[in-house]
Amino acid sequence: MYARRSCLTAAILLATGAGGMAWADQALLNSSCGGCHTETEAGLSRIEGQRKTPEGWMMTIWRMQNAHGLNISAEDRRVLVQYLSDTQGLAPSEAAPWRYALEKDPNTVEALEEPFASMCARCHTGARVGLQRRTGEEWDLHMDFHVGQFPTAEYQALARDREWFKIAKEDMVPWLTETYGPDASAWESWQGQPHAPAAGDWVFLTELPGQGEAYGKLSVSGEASPYTVSGELVLASGESLPVSGSMNLYSGYEWRANLEIGGTVYRQVLAMSEDGAGLEGRQFLRGQDSLGAPLIAARAGDAAVILGAVPSALPAGSTSAQIVGVGLDGLSASTGNAEANPYGAALSVETEGNGMLALAAGEAAFDLAYYESIDSLQVEPAFPLARVGGGSDVGPAKVPAYFSAIGFWNGPDGEPGTADDIRVGKMDAAWAMTDAHEHAAHMEDAKYAGSIDAGGVFTPGVAGPNGERPFSTNNAGELTVTAEALGQSADASLIVTVQRFIDPPIR
Amino acid sequence: MKPLNQKAERVQRAAAEDKMDEVRAMQTVTAGCATTFDPGWEVDPFGGVAALCQPMEADLYGCSDPCWWPAQVPDTMVNHQKWDENAPNGAKDWRNLSAGYPDDAET
Repeated sequence: MYARRSCLTAAILLATGAGGMAWADQALLNSSCGGCHTETEAGLSRIEGQRKTPEGWMMTIWRMQNAHGLNISAEDRRVLVQYLSDTQGLAPSEAAPWRYALEKDPNTVEALEEPFASMCARCHTGARVGLQRRTGEEWDLHMDFHVGQFPTAEYQALARDREWFKIAKEDMVPWLTETYGPDASAWESWQGQPHAPAAGDWVFLTELPGQGEAYGKLSVSGEASPYTVSGELVLASGESLPVSGSMNLYSGYEWRANLEIGGTVYRQVLAMSEDGAGLEGRQFLRGQDSLGAPLIAARAGDAAVILGAVPSALPAGSTSAQIVGVGLDGLSASTGNAEANPYGAALSVETEGNGMLALAAGEAAFDLAYYESIDSLQVEPAFPLARVGGGSDVGPAKVPAYFSAIGFWNGPDGEPGTADDIRVGKMDAAWAMTDAHEHAAHMEDAKYAGSIDAGGVFTPGVAGPNGERPFSTNNAGELTVTAEALGQSADASLIVTVQRFIDPPIR
Repeated sequence: MKPLNQKAERVQRAAAEDKMDEVRAMQTVTAGCATTFDPGWEVDPFGGVAALCQPMEADLYGCSDPCWWPAQVPDTMVNHQKWDENAPNGAKDWRNLSAGYPDDAET
């Protein structure tokens, strides 16, 4: 293998028109990749037989740099990711089951069928597979690649007890070809329909870990990636933070933005709905992706959309709430008065006891809980994982965990923890953590593994051997995290473990 | 079979005390964690950390060099041959072990 320098620059690409862009992008692909990949009737060898997400293509190109000496600038690399995602990407329906991996959701536990789980998802997410489409020949070569690049895959537990390579070649390749194979009908259908522009005004609802529930506006301008994004984010306290940054749109719907919000850089991994009316995904700290929250947004327009409310449930004594949405000029409330504003409508209300406010505008409807008491509490997530980190200039950073306390009413059966429980919303809670069991107490895990703050953010300890602990063990541990609110309490189990040194966009 | 160290002894004792039901099924950890658990990287066969090789820096290379957790830890055998060149002694030089995927390779 040898290094090959890309000949074209982004400046040349920008100087061309739309048709010229496609030609120039194909020329960049040929010049960057053609040194090793050969021309075929369908395109460059290996590349032509695959479709992937933007993250999937980025990981492939980076692997070519790391393993095969490809020399390419960061800008040319992004141009290639754009071109490949737009021409050999996934349709919205193909990516939909696996969005948690793109969003780097730290709280998803996959439930996969055998033998897929043991054969593939033993090392990486099943999503990493499900977010690709390959021809049968490509899946077959993929097995050869694995046993060549990662030979111990044959010797680990759940591999050495079986003929791993034989199963990979004879069972998995046909299954993968059938399940994630060359059928491009969904992609071709998506490519064949007009796509809504990303530019425009959006109203969003989200949460900043440690700072609470939030809403705001985004204004997107431009005709192609990178788009310019500006706006503001408003916290429940009424404090407003400026938002600015850029966004790349891939495959007609995959929204990837880096935005500075009040001086901190956040990343958005969102999907634009097929009709272009909404956004849905996750926003997280660019430097610590475990600290994030879901984000939903609606495009400003004529139709009424209610995204939700801040606060998400009204505690006793509160007299106002922000109903977040678009087209809410005519919002009606079963109790109180609503007045339209740039983020939807401001609701003024007096409540007593427990109950639901019914809100409606046009065809949009939303029930907002108000409460004096709750019947039970749950901690979300129930079983997360944090990682030690830091203590080094080049090593992985700490991976915190973010907890929320959610209040519930019992529902018609009068019993907590059953299917008819009514989710009230997020509660202000007092947080504590203790050793999870006898061995954790013996090792004093709660003393060394980290601490939790009043906002529900757990910050783990520093990386490296700790001479104060038995065996100089790491600051890992097993903890029980407890929330208390309105006379109720609930627990979650927290594993604090070691660093992840390889942390690609799709794990 | 005789356990070679205290942690192996714990696993054997748990089996003897019929506590193996406490071993979590392999898919109950966060998506993307290694569920190879002989040894595990993030969690042990019990779904915790008490039976992991710790401190992991002490015998890291014995497992990571031949690629035991290829999606989590760089292997020096094939894919990241220079990863440990500034850290000949893992327990002492762990601060020189870098992240294996660049921050700027994002979409």
